[in-house]
Amino acid sequence: MYLADLFAAGLAIGCVYSLVALGFAMIIRATGIIHFAQGELLMLGSMSALSTLWLMPRLPAVLLLACGMIASGALAVAMEFLVYRPLRLRRVPLMNVITATVGMSILCINAARILWGSEPLRYPELFSSSAYGIFGVRVSPQLVWIMLFGVVLMGLLQLFLKRTRTGLVMQAVAQDAEVAQLMGANLTRMMAYTFAIAGMMAGAAGVMFGSLFFSFFEMGFVLGIKGFVAATLGGLGSLAGAMLGGIVFGLIETFSAVYVSSAYKDAIGMVLLIAILLFLPSGLVGLWKRRS
Amino acid sequence: MTKIVTAAILAALFALPFFGPHPFILHMLSLVAISATVALGLQLLLGFSGQLSIGQAAFYGIGAYASGLLSTRLGLPFPAAFAAAGLAAALASLLMVPITRLSGAYLAVATLGFSILVFLLLKNEEWLTGGSFGLMGIPRASLFGHVITQPGHAYLLCVSVAALVYFSLLRLERSRFGRAINAIRQNEDAARACGVQVTLLKSQCFVIAAFVAGLAGSLYAHQVRYLAPTDFTFWKSVEILIMVVIGGMGSLFGAVLGAAVVVLLPEVLREVGDYRMLVFGAILMAVMLFGESGIAGFLGQCLKPFSKR
Amino acid sequence: MPEALLEAVALSRRFGGLVAVDAVDFSVRAGAIHGLIGPNGAGKTTLLNLIAAALPASGGTLRFHGEDITRWGPARRARAGIRRTFQNLKLFSEMTALQNASLGLHAGTRAGIFAALVGTPSQRREEREIADGARRALEFVGLAAQADVVAAKLPYGHRRLLEIARAIAAQPALLLLDEPAAGLNATEAANLAGLIRRIQAQGTTVVLVEHHMDVVMTVCDTITVLDYGRKLAQGAPLEIQRSPEVIEAYLGGGDEPPAAHAVA
Repeated sequence: MYLADLFAAGLAIGCVYSLVALGFAMIIRATGIIHFAQGELLMLGSMSALSTLWLMPRLPAVLLLACGMIASGALAVAMEFLVYRPLRLRRVPLMNVITATVGMSILCINAARILWGSEPLRYPELFSSSAYGIFGVRVSPQLVWIMLFGVVLMGLLQLFLKRTRTGLVMQAVAQDAEVAQLMGANLTRMMAYTFAIAGMMAGAAGVMFGSLFFSFFEMGFVLGIKGFVAATLGGLGSLAGAMLGGIVFGLIETFSAVYVSSAYKDAIGMVLLIAILLFLPSGLVGLWKRRS
Repeated sequence: MTKIVTAAILAALFALPFFGPHPFILHMLSLVAISATVALGLQLLLGFSGQLSIGQAAFYGIGAYASGLLSTRLGLPFPAAFAAAGLAAALASLLMVPITRLSGAYLAVATLGFSILVFLLLKNEEWLTGGSFGLMGIPRASLFGHVITQPGHAYLLCVSVAALVYFSLLRLERSRFGRAINAIRQNEDAARACGVQVTLLKSQCFVIAAFVAGLAGSLYAHQVRYLAPTDFTFWKSVEILIMVVIGGMGSLFGAVLGAAVVVLLPEVLREVGDYRMLVFGAILMAVMLFGESGIAGFLGQCLKPFSKR
Repeated sequence: MPEALLEAVALSRRFGGLVAVDAVDFSVRAGAIHGLIGPNGAGKTTLLNLIAAALPASGGTLRFHGEDITRWGPARRARAGIRRTFQNLKLFSEMTALQNASLGLHAGTRAGIFAALVGTPSQRREEREIADGARRALEFVGLAAQADVVAAKLPYGHRRLLEIARAIAAQPALLLLDEPAAGLNATEAANLAGLIRRIQAQGTTVVLVEHHMDVVMTVCDTITVLDYGRKLAQGAPLEIQRSPEVIEAYLGGGDEPPAAHAVA
């Protein structure tokens, strides 16, 4: 049943990637920028939740997740109001905004290194250590809970975007900000919500990843890129694509790491990224649209 | 006027060793010259043709390791290793050529991905590069059989290369090629409508920037004589980007100034050391917010009353 | 029968389900000033963009000097002698007027990286030729005094002229003007009409998309009218003004039918 373990692991990490990818997709749709600091939102959520756990060791997993999400969400909104929005208002060229997000990323990583040190930090056991039996297959509870959390969060996001008034306005702004404004949308607030949600998704992903492996100040760098790979694989700008891309990439990476060298595990994502950008820029979703 | 100033600066730079400064200062200034060389390449790529590459460290590293390996394993004399380093980096950049048709942020991410791949190769292929243990015992640079042992001579070598690259890029900037790549940056559609072969020129910029970074890498290898993969991570690419941004996007002189600031500031302000990258991240954002002409632009403003016009 | 410089056969452009240009047959006689008009949304700018290869064609063929250029990209067409201006100006805003005009001469010249680095005699000669050609282009449109002014600082009317200067610097065989009179006042429009005629006198064929009917009617030798992406009519200005189908198309769409008041 080794295959089942791999499959579960792939799905779990896939959920993490999907959440990060969703953040990328939402921000790209709303602002057109690739948010280089997205991975740092994941990292800061992960570290903040861990700090909270140190203060309150008996915190249940759900609340821990909430802590991470709130921290990242708040930070994302701060980034938007302190840096990104002023840049947009000054109408600086897109490249400058992107460079600024690179700067933000560097700032966050180094701030984290100063605050939390450079050693990896372990999450204490969040769930029972005995494996669950699902359909007769033994799966680690960590993986199950992560998949569960991931699916629930993504489902809630979809519900929010499609069924609530705010969600619909956010989608309108993403499609055409000018027209949405003419229809009365408060652009500032909608952008803030977009960043808040993208941040919360990243924070949740950070807590999940931390509980699976560990937290460290540079975790956002690699996970951010991989989240971006996932978003690109699915089809940049598509929320469904982000979710699909995350799962698919998680599976590809997990299985390749076993059958290809594990030292080059990260390389798989990089090669896939460049390949997609060059040969399939509209991603899996684009491929599916072309078929139908 | 500018010609006199330039000549004066050059004379001062070349005369410096004869005033007997401390070897450590000469070493640091050599590093500044080396960094300036890489930064100049990025200035061509980013400041002139508008392509954001956050992966220049990959070419810097390829050049460094190529030169180091060729001289330690094959005993190649420095001039050959130096040239080979540039060529190796340039050849590697040909792999990136398909990426040049990507726009803005996607190009940046692709360069990032590429540099991560190069880093992984440097780290994992121990049989070739020594992996995480690094490459040791790289000989000093030598010219015409004469080994450069004095820090002053090494300094002069680095400054000469930097000056050569600087003036070459200056000529390019003022030529038909330079106008065309600036046009690409300012308005790609209009450049096409003038018959500019956009993808070709963008690729040429990439190759030149990589070649220059490779040369700088070679100098670096023979200056510090020990290489580790961790010298060539994303952080190094970011440092190079900071040099260009702080110095002023589009200004060759700015790239040199930026290199000086980035390399020397942590030494001058010892306390800053640990917070170095933090400060640089903040500076990056600040410059984007408040105007991208950087130090060079600021100096230009100060000197306006003195210029002929 | 004078030879057609540019010939489009069944040229089409679709955006998903929308047909912007519908199998248009369009031919431009060498040496003529050919106007392209139609009510809003008729597909005029799209057709111009197809000729300039700013958009790929969805169907049909395009021939220039008898050669099939349908698959050629914009840079290649520019090098072949098809130049254009843009509806929303695309100047190189950080460059001076002279530098902008110099880029118009990029395609005909050859000095590359090596020549620039070494400074060969032919490269230096070429630079002088480019500078001279650029100055002449600026003089031709009346911007000689603004040669060293940065494009972003020029007033709107001068920026429009600069785009034209850049496009004609290489004395192209075919010049595509995309609403060159947009935003110009009556005097500037009159000057523009005169400029277009002087460009024709130099031997350049002109295709002109324009809403400003005074300019169109006084300057054009032939006019093609588009409506809903299809060619509605083609002929001399007077015929077009009197054509019932054309009037119907404009009135039906709520636009003013093309009447002319003498411009120059």
